[in-house]
Amino acid sequence: MEDSHHSPELFLFLASTAHDMKNSISVVSGTLERLLDGASPETEKAYAQMAQMLYQTRRLNDNLMQLLALYKQVGKPGYPFDVQPIEVGQLVEQVVALARVLLESRGVTLELDVDPELIAHVDEDLIVGVVSHAVNNALHYTRDRIRLSAREVDGDLEIRVEDNGAGFPPALLAAGTPGSGDSGVNFLTNSAGLGLYFSGEVARMHRHRERFGAVRLENGGPFGGGCFILTLP
Amino acid sequence: MNTPAAFPAPDAKPDATTALTPAANSAAPALAAKPKVLEEIDWASKHYLIVDDFVGIRQLLRESLRSLGARNIDQASSGGEAMGLLNKLRYDVVLCDYNLGEGKNGQQVLEEARMRHLLMPSSVFVMVSAEKSVESVMGAAEHQPDAYLVKPITEGVLLTRLNRVWRRKQIFRLIDQAFVEKDYLRAARLCDEQIAARKVHEIELLRMKARMLERSGQPARAREVYEKVLAQREYHWARAGLGKIRMADGDFEQARQMFQTVIAENRHYIDAYDQLARAYQGMGQHEEAAAVLERAAKMSPNSVPRQRHLGQAALRLGNVPMAEKAFRKCLVIGEYSIRKAPDDYLGLARVCGLKGNTKDALQLLLLAQREFGSEHEHIVLRAKITEGHVYHESGDYLNARRAGDELDAMLQADPGRPGTAICIEMATLLFAVGVKGTPNEVLAHVIRNNHDNTLLQDEVQKIFDRARLSDEGALIIRTARKEAVDLMNQGVVLWKTGKLPDAVKWMRKARERLPDNVRVLFNAVQILISHMQQRGYELELEQEARQVLEHVDRLQPGQQRFAQMIEQLGALQPQPEPARPDAASATPPAKEGEAAAPHA
Repeated sequence: MEDSHHSPELFLFLASTAHDMKNSISVVSGTLERLLDGASPETEKAYAQMAQMLYQTRRLNDNLMQLLALYKQVGKPGYPFDVQPIEVGQLVEQVVALARVLLESRGVTLELDVDPELIAHVDEDLIVGVVSHAVNNALHYTRDRIRLSAREVDGDLEIRVEDNGAGFPPALLAAGTPGSGDSGVNFLTNSAGLGLYFSGEVARMHRHRERFGAVRLENGGPFGGGCFILTLP
Repeated sequence: MNTPAAFPAPDAKPDATTALTPAANSAAPALAAKPKVLEEIDWASKHYLIVDDFVGIRQLLRESLRSLGARNIDQASSGGEAMGLLNKLRYDVVLCDYNLGEGKNGQQVLEEARMRHLLMPSSVFVMVSAEKSVESVMGAAEHQPDAYLVKPITEGVLLTRLNRVWRRKQIFRLIDQAFVEKDYLRAARLCDEQIAARKVHEIELLRMKARMLERSGQPARAREVYEKVLAQREYHWARAGLGKIRMADGDFEQARQMFQTVIAENRHYIDAYDQLARAYQGMGQHEEAAAVLERAAKMSPNSVPRQRHLGQAALRLGNVPMAEKAFRKCLVIGEYSIRKAPDDYLGLARVCGLKGNTKDALQLLLLAQREFGSEHEHIVLRAKITEGHVYHESGDYLNARRAGDELDAMLQADPGRPGTAICIEMATLLFAVGVKGTPNEVLAHVIRNNHDNTLLQDEVQKIFDRARLSDEGALIIRTARKEAVDLMNQGVVLWKTGKLPDAVKWMRKARERLPDNVRVLFNAVQILISHMQQRGYELELEQEARQVLEHVDRLQPGQQRFAQMIEQLGALQPQPEPARPDAASATPPAKEGEAAAPHA
C-alpha cells in the first residue's frame, strides 16, 4: 500500500517487536506501581529509587508510544484516527489514574479544575496519551504542585497542565510557540521536542469544520511555572 | 450470575473531579482517592476471563482485577483454550488480546462467541491490542467488542473503561433486548427515550436509532436522523449512512460520491469501501468495484466476508489471478473463523476449473461437502452445480452433461428448492449442458416465488431466450405469475369475508407452494394476526407467525411490513403482569390501511 514504503516483512517484524516491548513495559510499570502502592518511604528503603524507576519506565513508554504512533504516521491519513464524544471527566479520570502512583511517590500534588460534564470530541487514546505525557513532563519541572484544568473557551475545549517549577527552557518555549514553525527544536538532540511535536500532530488531527486543535507552551500562569495548553475544537 | 448494577445516578462523576472544585484547590486532596465508582458497580462478584498468550500480561491483568476485589478469574493462553472455557461457562467480563499467536485471533474469538451465543447480552468483551488497529475504527463491523484497550494496560484506565462500558450496557439494555427480538420500532422509540436523559450518549443513541429505522424499512426517517447528526459534526458513519440510503433508493451515483467523501476524510473507515464497491456494482462498474474491494482487503485483510466479496467480484470480471488470491486467503483466514462458508470453496473450485485444473476443483468440492455437510442446506446440490460449471468451462462437455444429469436426478428426488440465486445458477447450467424440462420447472419456481419482481422476470426471460425457448419461457412466466396471484387473492377473499380459520388454512397451503414468496408470507402473517386480534391470542399462531417472519427476514431483510408486524405481534401478547404499562402502552396500534390489510 502507498502509505507503507517499507517492506511488509520489516513492518510485521517491527509491529510484533513493538507488541512485545509494550507487554514488557506493561509488566514492569504495573509491578512497580503495585510495589510503590503498598509501600512508603518509611517502610521501604528503596522507595525513592523505585519511584525513579517508575518515572523512567513511563518515559520509556511515552517515547515508545510516540515513536510508534509517528511511525504509523499520526497526523497523516494513514493513522486510524477515531473521534468519539466523551465526557471530559472520563478523560481526566484516566489521566489521574495513570499518574497517581507516580505523583504520590514523588510527593507531588495534582490539583484539578475540571468541568467533568463537558463533552469532548476526541480520539480518546491519543488525547489521554498527550495529556498524561504533559503531566509526566510537568513532573520533571515542578517543585511540588501540578494543576490540570479543562474548560470551554470560545467553543473550544482548553486543557491546561501547569506546574510551579522554574518554567520551560527558552528553546522548548520557542518550539511550543505558534508561528515559530519547525525551526525551534532539533529532534535529533532534544528528546523533549519529540513529545511536543507528537502532541502538536495529535492536536492538529482534531478538526471541526474550519477549526483545528493546537498545542502551545507558556511560562507563568497561576503557579508561575511551565504551562502546557492543548486546545481542541 | 449477578444482578446488574443500578443505573449510576445522573450526577455520578469520577471521584477525583468532584472532589476538586476550584474552591477545594488549596486543600488539594487530589490523588488521595481512588476512583469511587468501585462502590457503584460490584466488580468483585463478577466472573472474568483473561485471554493473552503472554503469561506476564495475564498475571498483570489478574492482579489488577484482584485489586478490584475480583475472585473468579479464569485464564486462557490461546483462542482455542478461550473457546473451550466460553463454551463451559458464562463470563461477565472477557479481556482478550487481539494477537494470540497461532490459531484464532481475538476478533475470531469474539465472532465465534457472539455467533454461538456464548456471551450473555450483559457480558462485556474488551479487546486489548498493542496498537490502534484499523478494525477498531471501521465502526460498522458486525461484531464489535464493547471496548478497545491499547497497551500498555494500567489499572486506572481499565477501570474507567469497564465502568463506562457497564453504564453504556445499562443504557442500551432495553434497546438491545428489543433489537434481539427484532422489534426495531420499539428499539427506535427506546432510543428516543434515552436520548432525552443521556446527553453524552446522544450521538451513539441516534446512530442506533437510525440503524433501527433502516432495518424497519423507514429510510426517510433514518435519513432525518443522519442529517441531524451531521448538522452537529461530520461523523463518517452518518455520512456513510446517508450513502446507504441513497443506494437503497437506486441513486448509486450520489451514494458513490458520499462514500468517496468519507474515504477521503478517513481512509480507514473500511465500511465505506465495502459500500462503495456495492455502489459501483449497482452501476454495472464491476472493474471499479473489484479495485475498491482490493484496496479494502489490503488494508484490513483478515475479514473472510470481504475476501469472499472480492473473490466473487473478480470471478465475475474473469480476473482469475485476483479471484484465486482472494479465495485462497478466505480459506487461510477462514481456518479459525466461524465466518467461513462453502462459497469460499466453491469459488476457488471455479477458479481451478477456469485454470483447467479440474482435479483440484473436484477435490475442493469434496472438501466443502465434508466441511459444511452438516450445517449448510443444499451443499450437495451446490457442489454439483459447481462441478457442472467447472467441467463446462474447461470444455469437458461429456462430464458436464453427466453432472447435469446427476443434478437433474437430485432435483427429481427432492422437491425442496434452494434460494433464488442458486436456482438461477442451476437453471443456467442445466440449459448449458442440455438437460431439458427440469430447468423450466426450476425457473417457474423462481417466478412463483417472486411474482412481483419484474427485473427478475426479465432476467429469467433472457435465460429462456439464450436457451432458444423464448415463447415457451414467456408462457411459463405468465402461468407461474398467475398461479401465485390466484393463490394470494383467494386468501385475501377469505380474509375479507371474515372466514379467518379458512384463510389461515389457505395461506398455509399457499406457503407450501410458494415458500419464498415474500408477499405471500407477509399476507399469511397478517391473516394470522387478524385471527388473533379478532378471535383471541393463541400461542401456536403467534409462534407460526414469528417463524414465517423470521424466514422473510432472511429472504429480504429491512422490510417495513416486517417491522410493523413484529410490533403488532408484540402488542398481541397477553401481558403477564399489569404492572408494566410502559411496555403495553408504548406500542401503538399499527397504522390502518396499507399495512394492516393483506396485499392482493
